[in-house]
This record gives sequence, C-alpha cells and structure tokens, in this order.
Amino acid sequence: MTTVLRTILSSAFTGLLGLDSVQAGQFLLSRPAFVGTLLGWLNGCALEGARIGILLELLYVDFIPVGGVVPPNGAAAAAAGVLAHAAGGLAPSLAFFIGLAAGRAYAPLEMRLRAARSSWSRRVEEQVRAGDLNLSRWLSSAMLAESSALAAYSLPGTAAAAALAAVPGVGLLYPGTDFAYSLMPWLGISGLYFRFRTQAYKKG
Amino acid sequence: MLFKVFIRSFFIQAGWNYERFQSLGFAFSLMPALRKIYPDPERLKAAVLRHLDIFNTQPYMASFILGNIARMEERASASADPAAELKSMPGVKQALASSFASIGDRVFWGRLKPMTVQLCLLVWTLGGFYGWLFTGQPGRPSTALLLAGPLSGIVLYSAAAVYCRWRGLARGYACGGASSCGLDFIDWGKLIKRLSAAGFGMSMAIALFAFGLLAASGSCPGRVVLLKVAVAASVLALHRVTRAYGRSVFFAAGIVFAVSLVLFSVFELRPLTLYL
Repeated sequence: MTTVLRTILSSAFTGLLGLDSVQAGQFLLSRPAFVGTLLGWLNGCALEGARIGILLELLYVDFIPVGGVVPPNGAAAAAAGVLAHAAGGLAPSLAFFIGLAAGRAYAPLEMRLRAARSSWSRRVEEQVRAGDLNLSRWLSSAMLAESSALAAYSLPGTAAAAALAAVPGVGLLYPGTDFAYSLMPWLGISGLYFRFRTQAYKKG
Repeated sequence: MLFKVFIRSFFIQAGWNYERFQSLGFAFSLMPALRKIYPDPERLKAAVLRHLDIFNTQPYMASFILGNIARMEERASASADPAAELKSMPGVKQALASSFASIGDRVFWGRLKPMTVQLCLLVWTLGGFYGWLFTGQPGRPSTALLLAGPLSGIVLYSAAAVYCRWRGLARGYACGGASSCGLDFIDWGKLIKRLSAAGFGMSMAIALFAFGLLAASGSCPGRVVLLKVAVAASVLALHRVTRAYGRSVFFAAGIVFAVSLVLFSVFELRPLTLYL
C-alpha cells in the first residue's frame, strides 16, 4: 500500500474513532494511546505509534470534559503525531510535539462545530411541530460533519510534516527535540500524580 | 422499550450544542418510550417538544434520568390530570441532571479514565515493555502487547460505563418520579474515595517504578545517575510550579521543548542521554 493511501485510510479511521470521544458510544476508542498504536500499526510503526499515543494520553490526563469544556482532541493529536512520523518522515520526537500542538489546535474547531449546531434547536422544534419526528437525521448530520472535519484535519498536517522533513537542516532540531521528548514521560507521570493527589487529599 | 432507549442513549451527545446541550440526544433517546406511551400523534408531538428543552448531564449517568422521565411520562399518560403529573417533571429532570453530572464527572472523567492509563502502563510493564519511558529502548514488543495495553483499559472502562447506563435506566424507571431517584443506587461518596485512593496509590507506584528504572539504567557512575534523577525530578517540579500558577501541562511541555531546543539545537551542547 502506498504512503498516500495509508495516510488517507488512517485519516478516515481517525474520523470514525473520533466520534467516540463525544458523539457516539464514548468507549474511549478515541483515546490517543489506542489511536496512536492502531495508526502506528497500520503505518508499520506500532512501537512509535504506541509511544507517541501514550505520552499524549499522559499529558492529556490534565484535561477533563466537564461542563461543556472542550479539551484538546486526543484522536486528532495521535493521528497528527503518528502520520507526521510515519508518512511525513519526521523524527518521532518532533512528530510528537506536532501532535501535541495539533490536538490543542483542534479544540477551537470543535467548538465552532458545536456552536454551529446551536441554531438547529429552533429548526428541530419547527420540524416536530410540523409533525415530522425524525430526529436521527440531525444527529447523523452532526456526526458526519464532525467525522469529516477530523478526518480532513490530519491530511494537511501530514503534508506540512513531509514538507518540513524535506527542509535542509531540519535534522539540527533533533538533538533538542529528542531530549525534550525523553522528558515527556516524566511530565506525564507528574500529571497522573497531581491528578490523583488533589483528589485523594480533597475533603468531602 | 427500555432496550431501545438504552441503545439510543449511546448517541445522547451526538447533537451537543451550546444552546440546549444534550436536548436533541435526550429527545432522540426517549423517542421509543414516548412512541409507546403516546399513540396519539398530537400528544406524542407535545411530549417530544417538552424534551427538546435544555438538558445537560454526564452522558453515562443520563440513563438514570431517561428511565425516570419515561416512567413519569407513563404516569402522566395514564392520569386523568396529566398537567398535574407533568408539572414537577422539569424540576425533577433538572435536579437529577445536576446531581448526576457531578457524580459522573467525578467517577468517570476524574477517576476511571485516568486509571485506564495506569492500567495500560501496568499491562505493558507485566508484558516486559517499558518503551513509553525509555525513548531509546532497543527491542520490539509485539503489536498484540502494544494494543493489549490500551484495550484492557477500554474493556474495563466500557464495562463500567455500559453497566451504569443499563442499570441506571432500569433503576430510574423503577423509581421514576422522585427527585432523588437513583442517587442512592450505590454509595457514590465511598466509591469516589476508594477510586481516588486506588488511583493515587497506582500513581505513586508508577512514579517510584520509573525512578527505580532510571536509577538502575546503564552502568553509569553514581554522579551521572544522580544527575539523571535530578533532571527527571526537575520536570516534576516544573509541572508543580506551572500548576500552582494556573497553567496547563502545555505550558510546562513548551518550556521543556524551548529550553531543550536552545541548549541542544542552537548552542549544540552534547545532550544528556537519559536512559541507555
């Protein structure tokens, strides 16, 4: 399978798995540890995919989706990171940071999609008043839009990563990014520690 | 009827928006029950419109409210004075939504979800894979082991979530009408405390294990080992400080990234190899 085909397939998978984060099921299939490993496996680098995925997951432990807050998107982050490495040709260390930023950058787009659906409420009411009780088409449209947006999101990122990999001297970045990447497990461990420490010592 | 509502409840957030939150998904989930309760199209229409009003709670816990409301609608439909029966419905719905949101956020998002990460690391560790920690680790673990880590968490977490959805629906339906319906399903406070303690214990174990591996890695002189441990500990301290100033983990990661680039890419210092 060519790299382009694998990238498109990976993006489509990301779009489908991404639905699990909010819209359908919520079985944690969209968590970066799973998406990263799965996409890594599809692209012939399961180990790097798993590593990028679990490190993203450890850092994202800091965010929880309460009260309508839109946390960074783990599936978008894992897809961007793994594809930047597997298809874009960047070192895993730089690809990881690209993924980290991509997950964060996806949150405003997700907010816009949610905001765009706000105008639906009155239209749905009008439809029901007119006697049409089919609500599933609104939900299907919402899921299709979210899935397509997420699938499309990783494609330009991969192309940009491939372009960056071709820039002469990009290798000069790697000693720095490799070192920063080697410290990320520690940042993740501290994230887990502080998340539970706060809860364990909380009264009530 | 309840089974159809249960299946549809997996899509309760599909139409989430900032104006009415989960209302569209709530009405969609309740539809099989409403269709059965109200054979009359006009009454059915009125019932659907009632449930297109603002609604938001934790998605797994919404089942308690769906069951409760289905029972209330059933009673209203059979009552000689439906208006009187329906009068308390918005209040019950709102009270339960707030209470279950608070419980669900704490149990699922705040505790169980981070614990699946710990479980993933535990499965990998038991399988002999520490690659998440050792960025330069040689050897290739099997893809099955790599997938088993996150999948173990997914299976356990989903089992808890599906159990809560189904039992919540049945419980809500059984005690429908009461504004405390389902809140006594289990001792939520005790569960939250136990999960917090278990999660904290696991976090401590992971941190100690990681520091132990770091100290034992390679055959370095004592001062190099000390330096490595100090570098790792300084990252934890950095995260603590950034949290104290209300900054997210991105800020700490950004500092690590920028400092590393300046030291090792711009000034071309020889990087410290943290592990091997």
